[in-house]
Amino acid sequence: MSQGRLTRRTMIRLTLTGASLPLSGHAFAQDEGPVIAVANYPLAYFAERLVGDLAEVLFPVPPGTDPSFWRPSIADISAMQAAQVIALNGAGFSDWTTKVSLPRARIIDTSAGFADAYIATETITHSHGEAGTHSHTGTASYTWLDFGLAARQADALAARLIRAMPQSEATISTNLLALNADLAALDAAAKALRAPLAATASHPRYQYFGRAYGLEISAMEWDAQEEVSEDQWQALEQKISESGATLFIWEATPSDDARARIATLGLTDVVFPPLAQAPASGDFISEMTKSITMIAQSLDA
Amino acid sequence: MKTGLTAFVMIWWATVSVAHQLLVFAFVEDGTVIVETKFSTGKIPVSGDVRVLDAQNAVLMTLELQSDGTVQFPLDPALSAQGLLIEVATGEGHDNYWILTPDDIARATKETQ
Repeated sequence: MSQGRLTRRTMIRLTLTGASLPLSGHAFAQDEGPVIAVANYPLAYFAERLVGDLAEVLFPVPPGTDPSFWRPSIADISAMQAAQVIALNGAGFSDWTTKVSLPRARIIDTSAGFADAYIATETITHSHGEAGTHSHTGTASYTWLDFGLAARQADALAARLIRAMPQSEATISTNLLALNADLAALDAAAKALRAPLAATASHPRYQYFGRAYGLEISAMEWDAQEEVSEDQWQALEQKISESGATLFIWEATPSDDARARIATLGLTDVVFPPLAQAPASGDFISEMTKSITMIAQSLDA
Repeated sequence: MKTGLTAFVMIWWATVSVAHQLLVFAFVEDGTVIVETKFSTGKIPVSGDVRVLDAQNAVLMTLELQSDGTVQFPLDPALSAQGLLIEVATGEGHDNYWILTPDDIARATKETQ
């Protein structure tokens, strides 16, 4: 499932829903089949794997926008309110859910079942990119980077989808087995990494990955696609000296200059998109496999 | 209905517990849009501007937050037909928003009829 496919489907859905405002969202959904609204790309991918063509998956966050800090429009929320299932990541992932009214009976918080396994973080407020100032709240939210937890999110989503689409239980259950097999393969590949290992990331995204797979990952507060200032380089050098990190993880592809500078610090670097947003090509499984392979290769080099 | 709404607001205030964040909640009751604000610390903002925008992000009105952290304005069915976006910016430099969709408004209007 590529970004283009999701975007096209989403745009069609939003355009039609917006045109039918104010109150025909439910009727539209009933005419065209169930709609599953999701808060991030992993859930969009899981939902599409689970339901195939049996339902529409609505992931309204535009490409290039961080779903954690997305600011929806009125039409976006109207479309979400009309969905039969609203799948949230939980763990404080979607800031916007505290600024709108959603039908509680149709919401599934896919990580609620392992809330006791959430990772607490310090609250940090900062700004970068076009999103403006934002805070990383007190809970790490990229839960799916522990692929065991991702499978539990898929389980929770599948159970809720079966409640909404009981006639499709057999299909969803079969598809869940296949999805969980793929997630188990990712989990096994990540567990095979040569850990323990100290790493530093460009942004605090990898807490669950680090805990699950034995990597001690400290983090900078960098936007990988912005120029790194001299102060930021000095802060990185300080962090490396404290942590002994040998690996640097970029959440997005940085400039060639930045990668060259990382090399001068004696670090191996990899680009590991956490995939809160859809990749430009490939899908959740293929891109995660690629990232894990790159980490493994960098450790073996 | 009012009891349910009060319970919802209390749960919502308690759930959203980000450090020192401005919390905004808006609802429609008896043809009036009621905006309530509060900091996550529990304090009430003493001043601030409330901007009311339509679905095209056009500013419909700007109001001053009252000393109890609330503001009210009459619901204009024509202007709110495609929903309302309520933005609040306090004098302390905090801001946040609440979205009222056409469904939210219609449901509240129907419940209070």
